[in-house]
Formats: sequence, structure tokens, C-alpha cells
Amino acid sequence: MTGAQSPVLEVRNLTADYNGNRALTIDHLALHEQELLGVVGANGAGKSTLVGAILNWSRGAPRVSGEVILDGEDLSRMDTPSRVKKGLLLIPESQLIFHSMSVAENLAHHASAADAAGRHVYSLDDIYDLFPNLANRRGHLGGQLSGGERQMLGIARALRLAPRVLLLDEPSIGLAPKLVLTVLRTIRQLADNGLTVLLIEQNVKAAVEVVDRMALLERGRVLAEGAAAEMRDDPRIAEAYLGGHAT
Amino acid sequence: MNLAQQIINGIVLGHAFALIAIGWTVLLGVARLVNFGHGQMYMLGAFITWFAMSAWGLPYLVAIPLAMSVGVGVGYLMQRTMLNLTIRQDLVSVMIVTLGFGYVIEGAAALTFGSTGQILDTPLSLMDIYIGDIWFTWQDIAIVVVTILVFIALKYVIENSPVGRRVRMVAEDPKLAQLAGINIKRVYLGVFAFEGATVALAAAMVAPRTPILTSMGFEEVIITFVVVVLGGIGSVTGSYLAGLGLGLFTAFFGAYVSSAYATAAMFVVLIAVLVLRPGGMTQKMGGH
Amino acid sequence: MTASRLRPFVLPVTAIALLALPWLLGGANVVFSACVIIAIFAVMSYGLDVIVSDLGEVSLAHPVFFASGAYTTSIASSRYGLDPASTLVLTVVVVLALAAAIAFVTLKLREFVFSLVTYAVSVVAMTVAANWAFLGGSDGVTGIPAFEFAGFRALTDRQLWPLAWGLLVVVLYLVSAFRKSRLGHAAMTVHLNPALARMSGISPEIVRMKVFLVSAPITASAGWLYAYQRAYISADVLTPYFLILMLTAVVLVGRRILLAPLIGVAIVVTQERFLSYGAYVDRIILGTLLILALSFLPRGLYGLVVDALSMLRRKKSRPLDERQEV
Repeated sequence: MTGAQSPVLEVRNLTADYNGNRALTIDHLALHEQELLGVVGANGAGKSTLVGAILNWSRGAPRVSGEVILDGEDLSRMDTPSRVKKGLLLIPESQLIFHSMSVAENLAHHASAADAAGRHVYSLDDIYDLFPNLANRRGHLGGQLSGGERQMLGIARALRLAPRVLLLDEPSIGLAPKLVLTVLRTIRQLADNGLTVLLIEQNVKAAVEVVDRMALLERGRVLAEGAAAEMRDDPRIAEAYLGGHAT
Repeated sequence: MNLAQQIINGIVLGHAFALIAIGWTVLLGVARLVNFGHGQMYMLGAFITWFAMSAWGLPYLVAIPLAMSVGVGVGYLMQRTMLNLTIRQDLVSVMIVTLGFGYVIEGAAALTFGSTGQILDTPLSLMDIYIGDIWFTWQDIAIVVVTILVFIALKYVIENSPVGRRVRMVAEDPKLAQLAGINIKRVYLGVFAFEGATVALAAAMVAPRTPILTSMGFEEVIITFVVVVLGGIGSVTGSYLAGLGLGLFTAFFGAYVSSAYATAAMFVVLIAVLVLRPGGMTQKMGGH
Repeated sequence: MTASRLRPFVLPVTAIALLALPWLLGGANVVFSACVIIAIFAVMSYGLDVIVSDLGEVSLAHPVFFASGAYTTSIASSRYGLDPASTLVLTVVVVLALAAAIAFVTLKLREFVFSLVTYAVSVVAMTVAANWAFLGGSDGVTGIPAFEFAGFRALTDRQLWPLAWGLLVVVLYLVSAFRKSRLGHAAMTVHLNPALARMSGISPEIVRMKVFLVSAPITASAGWLYAYQRAYISADVLTPYFLILMLTAVVLVGRRILLAPLIGVAIVVTQERFLSYGAYVDRIILGTLLILALSFLPRGLYGLVVDALSMLRRKKSRPLDERQEV
């Protein structure tokens, strides 16, 4: 999968600064067709900053510079909405749905055929097949949903906008262990169906089971990167995330 | 002054208030923005209508869209100037900037139209209707009809159309709206242009009821505050009902107590509402 | 070393220079008149400056404090023959009561809801002033006697200038003392970090109330002197001009810089007095200044100057290849 073909999403010399403090320095990171890349790291390693920087988006106000290339097209000079229209879909960590709108309304907003440019726009039927729970709760307000349902709705919202690459920022945060598995399996299934996915995950143990490749982030830099199986045995990961925490 | 006449006055006045406030309802409630230059935009709309009819001899039905287009232009220009403040959700600065715009509009209007009062007569305002000893004009009927139509259309668009959905998305969470591919700048510009158009429409409809002065904007905006706050910020239906209630209140207060202090009385109502439910206000407002 | 030793002399020397300014500028009557008005309006703006720069809220009710000073003084002196010292005391008493009432009602309101209500206070005050017979209604209050106290009599602007200057200096001292005081620090804490303020036992409501009670008499004292300067007070003192002027003065030059409101007022009044294009164009200029300052100069003219200076310095000192990145 990670062969010679050109990557779907490529990031070069991406940096982000908060008030002059560098929070992110990514020399190079690439995602290939239909790949599920996991990005792991401790709190404050710069994981959220990374996915935000790829879309030039943040709830804070970092200064971002660097190149973001999607299917050979340089998006670096585009604002966030334009990048979204090109198919970069980020599901942020918290506040990922519109609370004052019903499930159905959250899902009503979808990419136009022109913006989707040949990419697959998931229909409402597709969505409700994939997430039967949402079908049952379509009349409820976003704010009334449980944590797991919000994640599902967050993903579903993104699918309606014809993603080329899906970027998920810690979808498992705050979820019960059982739900974590469900969410991660759903994401795996989306990758198997043909989506390219970047998954930020703090739960390394769970992540390593579903991702194809994994990158370890520390202090805003990629410390190690490789196939999931290799990374599982990488001492830096085993020590910090898998070692002592056997359950 | 009989009771029926006051009820009629109150109903017409109430619809006028609601129509004047509708731009603010969308601005504050739906997009979480403020415009303290609203009163001066109302004044401008009235004078453009008057000028188009008296100086250029345009018919009323042409003067209205003309005033509305000027309103769109002014609203767009205002928001274009302060777009960065809006995106930062720096509402306090937005408020002062709009206050500054109101002041500039007033200066420009006085420069252009002079500072003497004028009467904006329309074909409808000159046609009286008498039923027994009750009197009103066709203009009054037009105000009520137009207000109801505008409110129905607005409610439909906000709740059921893609445009309305976009505006609500930006209102709730502009950052998340960007991640849904929405160009929030365009939405903010659009909302201000809409506000400019509706307040000009309101002016063209309502201003024939009273003499118009370039200095009238300062006070006009109070009515809008009270309607929007009383209606429960952002509620379209609430604004309509609040406008109606306030219209009746003003008509009766003016007739039986004192017309000079009607604004002051409205203000007391505003304070009462704010003090009785300060939690509700700050809770709704605080978020953004 | 020498700089720090000279420091205590900077303010007194500046103050004396300020007093001599109208004579230095040629001593024409129009110059004295402009200087008196600048001093009065600057004092008026300092009251608002404390609320905006330190407390971080925007009160639009300050024209009411200014007007209440002007009305109290004009009525007390013209109808009851009170001398300037008594009218000043009365002004402070009246405005404290008024400020306490407004602060009490708006205690829980934040940000623009607070501003909205205070704006409404201004509008209502104007309709009341224009209609209430006690305040002279639309005719206003006339027959305000000349400023006369303990043998000092001031009728013309030339005679009033030392008085206006004195008031300005006192207010400058009060504002700088406020910023160093415990209340001043508490206000900043409430402004910048309300949660921290609560944790350190500061009640934002009480701080707000106190800052309001400090601020209102400052603005009102300007109204006090304005009454003597104008010798006639009407509801005109509540027109939006004063509000817009105050806001512009506070934001134009920069926040939390002691002399900023004075410089801001001086810029505006100088334009109106000496470079006027007629009242309506002047309005457009003043409003535009306010719009531009807030929209494009978040740190005011001072920030603009600082940025320009540092940019010049950087260009000179940086090697060529690094300049490209800037």
C-alpha cells in the first residue's frame, strides 16, 4: 500500500507557533490511498495542532506555515472552507456537532455535486445504514446525544461533505471502552471501503489494532513512523504506551 | 380617544416595531452580532425613500427597492470594515464600530439632506379609512401586511432553507462551520446586508407615520433593543409578539399617560426584563 | 541611572509645560478656548477610560454622568446661588447616587448587554432632559453665574484655563493613583481573568460597583466645569457627540496609557476648532476615526508608532537573507 504510487495527502515543513512558541515541526508526513494512519503521542505532543494545521484551522490562533498537498495540488494558500471543499474533512476533538440542531439537520448540510468533484457524497440512506443509531434519533437535538452518538454524528457529518481524506481528532476520548472499539471499528470499515484516514489517538493499545501505519509524535515532531506491526514492537512505543498498562 | 382607536394604533405600531427590529433579530439572535447604527440606517432608509420620491419623482414602489439597495450597500460596507472583529467575536468592538458608523451616517445624511424635518408622504399614507370614529390609513394596513409576510418568509427561510441552516451553523459555532466548508465571512457579510435591506424596508414603510429628521436614529434603536430582548433573543416569533405587545403598550401609555415619556417607559420595561431574567440573558449571550 | 533619577521630575515639568502651553502657542483667545475645552473633555473621557481600559467593559452611560454634573451645577448655581465648591460637592453626591443606581441595575450584565442597557440609559436621559420642566425642558438652564470662589473670578476662557488645567492635573493624578491602587489591580484581574479574581477572593460585582463609583465623579466633574464655561446647559449635552468623542478619545491612541485620552481629545478638538470642514463633515471625520481605530489599529496610534519604529530598526539591523522571511 505504501508503495511507489504518489501519496494522497502530503505535508512538508509544516510548523505552528503559539505566541512565538513552536508547537509543531513536521518535516514530512504522507498518507497513501486507502490508508489508515494513526498518529499517537502524549498530551501536548502536538497531535491536535497537526490536524488543525493541515486545514489551517484552530480554535486558538496559531501561526501556521508549510505545504499541504492533496492529490498533487498545493492547498497551502487556501483558507479552511476551501480546503474542506477539496475534501479534507476534520472531525475536531470536542464541539464536533451542532448542538442546537437536530440530527437530521446536522446531516442535511452536504457537499454540492460541483464541490464534490466526483468524490462520493454519502447519501442519508448510506449514513443511516452505517449508523443505525442515528436513524433512530434523527429528530433529537445534537445536544441531547450521548458521547458515542456525537462521535458517530461527527463522522457522519463529514461523510456528507464528500471526504477525500478524513482526519479524526481523538474520537475515542471520554468514551467507555466498549464504545471505543465500536468507534474504531467503524473507522476501520470506512478505510476498508476506500477512504484515506488520519486518526489521532491517545489510546495506543486500541489504535494499534486497527491502523495500517502509525506515527509517534513528541514535542511537535515525528519521532518514529512505520507499519503498525513494527511500531507495536518499537521500544519507544512499547515502553511509553503499551508496557506497564496491561489490562 | 377611544379604546378601539388605541387598539388599532397599538396593532399598527406593534407591527411597525417588529418590522424595524427584524434585522436585529437575525443579527443578534441568529448570527450573534450587534449593530448600534441600526437607528441611523433606519433614518437613511427613510430619507432615501423621501428623496427618491420628492426630488426624483420616482414612484413609491421604485423608491422602496432603491432604499433597500442602499441599505444592502451600507450593511455590506460596515461588515466589510469590521470583518476581523466579527470573526474574532469581539462584540464590544463591533458595537463601538457600529456606533461610529451610525454617527458617520447621521453626519452624511445631514450634509446631503439638510437638518430640517421632512414629511414622507406615500400614495397609501394619504388614503384615509374611517370606520365609525376609528381612523387609520392604507399605509397602516400595508405595514401590518408587509410585516406579517416578512416574518413568515423569514421564519421559513431560517428554519427550512439551506441558507438559513448555514446562518444558524455560523451562529452556533463559527469554527465548526468552517470545518463544514462554510465561508463564514460571506455569511457575516450577507447577514449585515440583509439587516441593511430590512431596516430600509421598515423605514420606507413606517417612516410616513411621523416626520423624519436626520437625528432620529439615536432614539429609534431603543425600540429595537426592547423588541429583541423582550422577544427572547433570536426568536423570530418572539420578536413578532414582543413588537406587537410593545406597540399596544406604547399606544396606551402615550394616550393615557404621556407620549413624551413613551421611550423612557419602554426602557423601564427593558430593565424589568433584564433584571427579572438576567440569567437567561447572559447565558444565551455569553457563549460567543 | 540618570533616567531613573529624573523620573520624579517628569510629571511636574510636563504639567507646568502644559499650563504654559496656550501662551506658548501665541495666547490668542481661540487657543485658550480650545485648551479649556480639551481639558474639560479629556477629564470627561478619563472617567470612561477607567471603565474601558481597566475594567474592560464599555459604558455608554457616561454622557449621563457628564450631563448630571452640568445640570446639577447649572441648576444649583443659577436657581439656588450655590458657589462652585458647593456645586462640586453636590455634583459628586448626585452622580454617586446615579452611578450606584445604574451600576446596581447592570451588575450582572456583561459585555454588550451591559453596553446596550447603558446606551439605553443615555437615550432615555436625553428624552427626560428635553421634557422635564425641572431640568429646563427643551429650553435648558440659563443664567449660570461666572465661576467665583474665594476672590478668584473666571469668566473668559483665558481666566478659566488655570482652573481647567488644575482639574485635568488632579484627574491625571487620580487615574494614575487608581491604576496603582488595590482597586485598580483588582479591576485588571476581573478584566483579564474573572475566574482567578473569584479564586483570590475578589468579587467582580463589588469591584465593578467601586470602579463605577470612582469613574462617574471624574466624568461629572468635567460637566461641573463645562456648566461654568458654557453658562448655558440644555439637553444638547446628551447628544451622541459626547459619547462618540469619549469613545474615540479612549481607543484612538492606546489603552492604559495615562496621557492617551488627553492626546485623543486634543487631536479631535484641534481638528474641529482649527481644521473644521463644517459640523457635518467633522462628524463624519470623528466617526471615521473611531471606526478606523477599532477596526485596523487594535493597539491604537501608539501601537502603530511602536510597530513602525521597530520595523525600521529591524530593517536596518537585519542581514539581507533573513529579511526575506519577515
